[in-house]
Order: sequence, then C-alpha cells, then structure tokens
Amino acid sequence: MTAVAPAPAPPSGSPPPPSGSADMAAQVARRVLYFAISRGPLVVFAALLVYLSLESEFFLEWRNIKSILRQSAPDAILASGLAVVVMAGGDDVVVGGIDISIPAAATMGVGLIADQLVGGTPLFWAYLLGALAILGVGVVNAFLVVYVKLTPLLATLATLVASVGMYKWAINNRRITVLENDFVNEVRDGDFLGLPIPALITLGTLVLVGGIAHRTRFGIRMQAVGGNRSAAEIAGLRPGGYVAASFILASFCGVIASIVLISRGSGISPGIEERLLVDMVLATFVGAAFSPRRVVTVPGAVAGAILVKALGNGFQLIQVDLFQIGMIKGVLILVVVASSALVGRLRQ
Amino acid sequence: MATTADSNSNALVMSDISKAFPGVQALDNANLVVADREIHGLVGENGAGKSTIIKVLAGIYEADHGSVWVANEQLEQLTPQSVHERGVRFIHQELSLVPYFNVTESVFMAQEKQGVFGLATRKMRRQAEDFLANILGAEIDGRTLIRDLTVAQQKLVQIARALIDGQARLVVFDEPTAVLGAADINTLFGNIRELRNSGISIVYVSHYLSEITEICNRVTVFRNGVDVDTIHLGEEQVNGAGNVVSGAANGSVRQAEIIKLMVGREITDMYPESQATPANTVLEVDGLSDGIRFVDASFSVRAGEIVGLTGIIGSGREALVDSIYGQRRVSKGTLAVAGKPIKLRSPAQAVSAGLVLVPRDRRNDGLVLDMSVADNVNVATLEMVSSKLGWHRRQQAAQRADQLVEQLDVRPRRSDTIVRFLSGGNQQKVVLARWLTTDSKVFVLDQPTTGVDVGARSEIYALVAQLAAGGAGVLMSSNDLAEVLGICDRVLVMVRGRIVAERETSGLALDELVALTTGSALEGVEGVAS
Amino acid sequence: MSGRAFGLTFLSRYGFLVVFLGFFIFFATQSDAFLNTSNLVNILEGNTILLVAALGMTLVVASGGIDLSIGIAIDFGGWLAIVAMMDHDVAWPLAIVVGVIVGAAVGAFNSFLIVWLGVSPFLATLGTFFIGGSIQQIYTSGGGQVPFRQMPTGYQELATGETWGIPNEILIGAVVLFVFYVLLERSIYGKRIHAIGLQPSAAAVAGINVRAYLWMTFVVASATASVGGIISTAGLRQFTPLAGFSYLLDAIAAVFIGASMHPQQRPNVGGTLVGVLFLGMVSNGLNLMGLDFNFRDALEGLVLVGAIALAVSQRRLPGRVGSPA
Repeated sequence: MTAVAPAPAPPSGSPPPPSGSADMAAQVARRVLYFAISRGPLVVFAALLVYLSLESEFFLEWRNIKSILRQSAPDAILASGLAVVVMAGGDDVVVGGIDISIPAAATMGVGLIADQLVGGTPLFWAYLLGALAILGVGVVNAFLVVYVKLTPLLATLATLVASVGMYKWAINNRRITVLENDFVNEVRDGDFLGLPIPALITLGTLVLVGGIAHRTRFGIRMQAVGGNRSAAEIAGLRPGGYVAASFILASFCGVIASIVLISRGSGISPGIEERLLVDMVLATFVGAAFSPRRVVTVPGAVAGAILVKALGNGFQLIQVDLFQIGMIKGVLILVVVASSALVGRLRQ
Repeated sequence: MATTADSNSNALVMSDISKAFPGVQALDNANLVVADREIHGLVGENGAGKSTIIKVLAGIYEADHGSVWVANEQLEQLTPQSVHERGVRFIHQELSLVPYFNVTESVFMAQEKQGVFGLATRKMRRQAEDFLANILGAEIDGRTLIRDLTVAQQKLVQIARALIDGQARLVVFDEPTAVLGAADINTLFGNIRELRNSGISIVYVSHYLSEITEICNRVTVFRNGVDVDTIHLGEEQVNGAGNVVSGAANGSVRQAEIIKLMVGREITDMYPESQATPANTVLEVDGLSDGIRFVDASFSVRAGEIVGLTGIIGSGREALVDSIYGQRRVSKGTLAVAGKPIKLRSPAQAVSAGLVLVPRDRRNDGLVLDMSVADNVNVATLEMVSSKLGWHRRQQAAQRADQLVEQLDVRPRRSDTIVRFLSGGNQQKVVLARWLTTDSKVFVLDQPTTGVDVGARSEIYALVAQLAAGGAGVLMSSNDLAEVLGICDRVLVMVRGRIVAERETSGLALDELVALTTGSALEGVEGVAS
Repeated sequence: MSGRAFGLTFLSRYGFLVVFLGFFIFFATQSDAFLNTSNLVNILEGNTILLVAALGMTLVVASGGIDLSIGIAIDFGGWLAIVAMMDHDVAWPLAIVVGVIVGAAVGAFNSFLIVWLGVSPFLATLGTFFIGGSIQQIYTSGGGQVPFRQMPTGYQELATGETWGIPNEILIGAVVLFVFYVLLERSIYGKRIHAIGLQPSAAAVAGINVRAYLWMTFVVASATASVGGIISTAGLRQFTPLAGFSYLLDAIAAVFIGASMHPQQRPNVGGTLVGVLFLGMVSNGLNLMGLDFNFRDALEGLVLVGAIALAVSQRRLPGRVGSPA
C-alpha cells in the first residue's frame, strides 16, 4: 500500500456514515423506541407517584414527606456506600464490586452502641467503639478483596456472616432498647431548619461521599478502575488502592447509617440487617435509572432509596397489603433493570 | 532533519537488554536505538521479543540486564512513573477506555486537573476539545460518551490522552491500525507525521509491513529475542502540497527484505496458487439488510472458491459478517447454504446448517481463553467425542486434539496447554482446527490474520486454500488488501453499507482495489447494489 | 518437578483441603462425640438440603450467573408439594413431581428475565426473590406456618426413613450429587456450560446454543433446589415460609469455596461438596464444643473468613505467576 490514492477521508468528528435514506423511518422509530425504553422507568415512577398522590391526599403532605425522608435515611446512606463499591469494582456483581456486608456491619455497630449505652458508657465512647467495629469490617473486606484476592461477593459474604454472629453474641441475640438518651432521641425526632435530622444526615452523606466519588480526582480515578481495570492500570493507577478505599468508604457509610439506625429503632432488634441488605441493593441499582449514563452513582442511590420508600409509604397509605409491597419492589427492580438491559441491546 | 543512526542525539537507547521468563529467554542482549525526530519501526514475529522490550521500556517488566537511556540520560530504574516523567508515552493496541466515561474524562484519566472546587471540569473539556481539533484534526464534543464514538475516534481519544500534557518526547505506537480502516489509517499517519515534525520521536510497532515501509524512517527487526538488523528506509520528502510522500518507492522490495530478516529465511511465495475450480453455489445471500449498517447485500460463494469481502471501517463489512452468522438481526433478505434457506437467528443455526465462522476478535469470540487447546478444538463438535447420551470421552477428545495440533503445527505441541498462553498465530490455528474435520460447507473467515506473524500467516493461507480445494466455499473478510488480492479468487467491495463492486482478483491492481474501497472509483462499477 | 515445587503446587491446589483436615482433627480432639459414626452421619444428613441447593447454585455460577432466588425455589417446591397433598389429595409421589415442576417454574421465570429480557442474573433473581417472598407472605397471612399433620408416610420418609440402612436424605443427596457430577464434569453438556460461563461470546460463535443452555441452567438449578424444599417439609411436617433464604448465603459460600480449590477457580461439583461438608462440619463441631449459641454463630463467621482467606492465599505462591505475554 505504498501508493495510496488520496482517500476522501470523512472528518473524524462526524457521526458514523448514514445508511440509505430508505431506512430513515426505521431510524426515527428506533430513536422513539430508545427514548421510551430508556426513560420508561422514570415515567413509571412518576406515574406511580402521581397516582399515589391522587389516591391519598396525605401522601404529598409535608408531614408525610418528612416521614418518608426520615425512614429512607438508613437505606440511602447504606446505598451510597454500596454505590461507591460498585463504581470502583465494576457492575458485574459476580466478579465485580459488591459489598453485602455493610448493613450487617452497621447493625453490629448499632448493637455495640446500644449495649454500651445501656451499660452506662458515655455517648462518645459508645459511638466510637461502634464506629471502629464497623470500619474494621471495611478494612477486613478491603484486605480480603485486594490482598487475598477473593471475589467481593464471597469476601463480603464471609464478613457478613461474621458480623451478624459477632453482634448476636455481643448482645446475646436480644432486643436492646435505648430510651433515656437525649442524643438518640434527638436524632430520631428532631428537626433542624425544618428538615428531619436523619434527612440532613443523608444530605450530608450525599454531599460528602457523592462529592468524593464524583467531584474529586480520587473519585474519578476510582470510577476509571471500576469502568475498565486494565485501562486504569495502563494509565498508571493502582487499582488495589482504589478498590480498598471503596470498601472502607462503604464501611464509613455504615458508621453514619448506624447513628441513624440506633435512633430509628431506639436501640437494636436482631434481624434488621436482612431487610436493610435487600433494600440497599434495590435502591442502588434502581438508582442507576436516574443517572444520565445509566450507571450506578451516589446521587442515584440516594434518590433510589427515597423513591422506594416513598412508593412503599404511598401504597401503605392507600391500604395496599403490607405483604404486597415486596412484590411491588420486585416488579420495580425488574422494570428498571429490564429497561437498562433493553437499552443496552438497542444501542448496538 | 537528519535522522540517521549515527546522529549524536538519540531519543532512546536500549542496549544489551536481557529478560528471561521461566523456560523462555524472551530478550537476549537486544538493542533498540531511536534517533531524535524519527519514526522508528519495530517488527518481528510473535514471540520475537518486541512486546517484551516495549514492556521493559514501559517499566512493566524489569530487565535482567541492560541499560536504557532516554534523551541521552540513563535511567537507573524503570518504573511506569519514571519513564512517564521522562516524556515516554505509550499508545497501546487495546483502546483501554471506559465506555461510559465522556471524552474529557477519558483524555484526562489519571491526570485530572483540579480547581478550587474539585475537578476543573470545564477547563479540562476545553483543553481536550482544543487538542483533538487542533492537533488531531477531529471535532469531538468533550461530553460525548466513549461508547457513542466510532473506533477511529476512540483511537484519537487514546492518543490525546497520551499527549495532552505536552510533555511527550517519545511516543510508542503499538499496532495502532489494528482497529482502523484504510481511510482512518491515512489520517492517523498524517497525525503521526505531524507529531514527528513537532519534535517528538516515534516508535511504531506493527505487523503490517506495508505500513512500516510507508511511514518509518528506519526499522529494527527482532528475531528470537535479538535485534537482527536495523534497516534504513530512506528519507521522507515533503512535496509541494505539504504532504509527506514516502521515499521508499520500492516498498515491496523492502518488505521482502524485512520478511527475510524476520523469519530468517526467504518466503518466496506467501500466497498459495489458486486452484479454484468453482462448482455449485454453497452460499447465496440475497438482498440482506439490517436497516442500519448495510443495505441490500447480495452475492454468492461457490464450492472451491475463496471470495474476499473488503471495505473500510464504517463500510458495514463487519456487521454484514455478523448478520450472515446470525449474530446480528437483519430486517430484510434471505440466506441459503447449499441451496437450503436458513433463518438468521443464532450462530448455532448457522453451524448446524454447515456455515462456520472464524471471528475477527479471536480473544473474545474465537477462544475460551482459560480452557485447554483440546477443549477449544472440541468445543464446537463435542458430540463427535461423546457417547450418544452425552458422556464426554476424554481420551477420544484428547486424541482428536492431538491430531489436529500435529496437523496444523500448533506450538507448543501439547493439547492440554491453556490457550491464553499461546501466541496469536497459534491461537488462530486452534480456532481453525475446530472446524477442520467438520463437513462444513461454508467457512467465513473474518480478519483471520490480524495479529498473526508472517510465518503463521502463510500457513493459514495454505490452510484456507486447502479448505477450498477440498470443496468448501470460503468467504474471507479482510481489510488487508494485499492479502485479499493474494488469496481470493473474487473480491466484493463494500462502501457505506453497500456492495459496490465485485471483481476477479486476477489482474486487479492493489491501487485499483484501494480506490474501490475508499469510494473514489465509483463510476464504471459493475456493482450488485441496485 | 522438584519436591519443593510439587509441595507448593499441591498446597496451592489443595490448600483448602488442608484447612479442612486441620479443622477435622481439631474438632476430633476437642470433643469425643465428634468422631462418632452417628455424629458424622448427622453432619451428612443435616446438610443435604444445603448440598442440593449448592449444587443447583454450582450449575448457575458455572454458566456465569448467580441465583439469589434459590431460597424461593426451595420454599415453593416444598410448599406446593404440601398444598397438592393437603388440598387436592394428590398422591405423594405425584406431589413431589408437582413440587419439582413448581421449582422449575421459578427457574423458568428467572430464565425469562435473564435470557429474554437480558437482565443481569443478580438483579433478575433479586427481583424474583422479592416477588416470591411477597407471594408467600400474601398466601400465608404474613408468613404463618403451614402444618400438615396427616402427611403420608411415604412423603415423610423422604427425610426420616432409611433404605438399606442408609438415611434417605443422604441417599437423595448422593443421587443428586452423582447426577450433577456426571452432568457438569463428565458430559459434553457440562463442557458447554463451562465454556459459556468462561466466555459466552466465544461459546456462541462455536455454535453452542447459549440461550437454550442458560434457560436450562436456571430451570435445572431451581428444580434441584426445590428438592431441598421437599425434604425440608417432609422432615418438619410443615412448611415454614421464607425458610429457604437461610440456605442462600451458605450455598454461595460452598460454591465459591469449591471454586477456590480449582486450578482455574472454576465452580465444580467436587469442590462444592467439600464446601458444604466444611460448613456443616464447622457448625457441628462448634456445637459439640458446647459453646454458647450466639458465640458459635460469631465464631462460625470468623472461621469462614479465615478459612477462605487461608485457602485462597495459598495460591499466591511463587511459580504460579502468569507466563510472559
């Protein structure tokens, strides 16, 4: 190919060459379909919210919205943590990033704090002990995944089992009620600037964790590691550090969640970690529907948590059977993920 | 701009580099000297050591022995960071991009700019867009997601990432054209020459010798871990229009010389003689469209015939091949194998109809990399090595694999080797071996020699000719035009989604074919497209 | 191969077996009751349901997926087998068939989501998990147990009876184990499933009907898990809603422990068996040591973390570094 005829090279910036005009109609139809499917979940959510607000006047009352925000705080905070791990590890949950131990770790922290508070330990030391225990789980996760090279699912599964066992042992598998503690009660019932304190804590988490993950050099590199590990390595990043940091950041979210959780339950009742786990995963992946790139993000996870809680709350208000709410959640997640799967297929 | 070996200032000197892996002496006192402001080619068969020496330079492998100077300054320890600081940049063969990152994020990946409030997003976007437009000549919005770009654009983003900080002094291009079509390659070459003219030295690693002779000032040839020779390819001259034209007018002579150095022997005849005695039609494609990438493709392949299919990126060639094999939906048209129409829904249907594919993406689509050679050879035809109920007869499977490994000279000659550890050429032989003893009627070979060294390449050509001689029809999709002319009896040319020309290859000149693929010779085409 | 190299290869491959044996010996020294035949039989019997569920999971993970709804299949299989007998007077052998078919239907729903809609297995089966759990709550008034006192003896004996002096549970487990071994490790179908799990696109290009195989893996996995549910209801003479969930995490753990023993980290039937036995042994051994119930749970978790870490870290030994590119 030494004497190459001057080729009419199309400017590299132009879109891929259009095919025949005969297929214009097909392409327009495709665009419409693409839009419908890609925005489908949001349309469904919006429609449900409108329906609920029409059915129940109370739904959109500020009092109820506050209660939704209050209830959704633990899920939103935990989901922020999971979102970070998913971003750093890639969204293939079998081999990529997943941390199913965060709720169990947070629950363990709650158990420890409650136990200490009831035992008369000063507030600060009780919370510090809880925080260290939760962060410890994050460190172990990071160690198992990055150093031992376990798949995250298995590693966090193991720490989940260990955390649950530890706290059940620590609190002797009984309910501990913390009633006479001003701080705990204030976090549960208090308002600040008109917003419930748990909602403010959620907002703080969103700003802090979301800021780190989406607005800093560290965060964008962490996303690069999750998006294409070999590319990140070639670019000179050390993926291990970012993955480890993601697990520790997730356990940090667990620490914050524990503060909200102990107040919400006025102590601890064993077994809450399972419900928290499924709601956290649900919120995180439903949240992908809110992201323009349709990937898991921290703001998306927070929005997902609030949305799931709002729908649950609304259906309860219009007296849908409590047991059917699980069904609604299931259908919800399927709507979101089926839409994103179909979008992926259409894009090809 | 004198760019000779004896010039005093060198951009890169690697001398007496040795590197051993368990059981392999990958580099044995190898040298590589790149002068200032030159485009220096690096060629060699797979396993000759060229990727190893690049990895030593990149700080990925630590050399057992030897020294490295960058810009006449010796580097005591090579780490990815230290070579980066000296202005050495690598454009790897893989695009290495995050699909859901946008252009700006990708260009600034791992070298983000921070402002007072976190990332300086707007500033980075402006810089990225300016760089792409001014240096690489591509207007791309910095907010476009990578997954929405063409492959050629993605390559530009990758290049921009390496160069955006303005510190680059030596840029290593590793097989940059593997993913590009002819027109994009020309643009890329223009970019590379621009870089050289602005004072950056280039190392250009490629299997495509035509590219080497076209763009490089000098070329170093590696064989068995040693640099056997460095050839001067002549000065480039700038013609009146400001375009650089290659001084190596006798490129093919030079290529023969390089090939001889690479393989240590002379390959007089790369391509086997055509023995086509075409019989009945085995593949009949009629009016195939997918509504997006290609329209109204009609052609046929007869038994004993090798038909080429070529076209630049964006011509719809790859999509057409995918559709023929049932990997991509079609909106219109029919396809018949040996007279029997088949529905295009899955590769499984194509295979059972007797139509098989050697895919272009060998590592992802061709092989199960973590399985053994034996498993990969047998995976498509497991019922041949099993009982009626499906009990896997391991011994029989191993025997069949051993035979094929022997027949195709796959190295190492062990069918229990994990395929991931084979070289490109040997991997490709494994993919071909899979279909050999089936009674498939149509073989679709999609870029069968990409990343395959010269020696294995001629073996693969011989094999393809053998298949055709044995009564199969072969459809060979390729962007290597010399290859198409060399091995095919007929060639179909696609431009912008249509088959615009169908020619006998005997008597067809290379530049004529180039003109056809780039759409610059559209008049007088006996095209089948209506 | 030198002795040292051999030792390292052995360790890297069988590291977990060494850990396993270590625990076995430890428990044997700690409690006299541990080595009793009846206790060892107890371990086998008590873990049949987990084994069956884990085998189904092995199949799914080998094909590159995961099944979080395995508990739903367990629940539904046992539940509807009981309902068939209780409310529709179906003969017990037929009731078993009903249970398995219902389990298969759960798998078919997963397949529909995964193969047809293209949803990722994790999220699809998570959806199934929510929906299945909700259905159980709705029809059992929030999770009330469904007792069946007049359960036919034949059905009951699935869990409590013996054949040739061997507990039926163990026999069922052995049969399922054997079938899965042949299917996944010795048949060409297993080869194809492994190929799909490793590289789906390459498997498709090789002419394997990937969609059909994925359909089958989820259906077979759920049907197999439902056998566990049937054994569970037979043993308890009642159906406990949402009980299947408790097997999910252990099943996943067993599969991944097993995979860690494979040279290429592949899920495999033998490894899964070792994983199940390990989990069962640790639980049983800690129990016999007379530890506090809650402390035992905590310790079990720690042992799981430690054992897996130890076994897998054996792989990071010299001599196993990747070969040159």
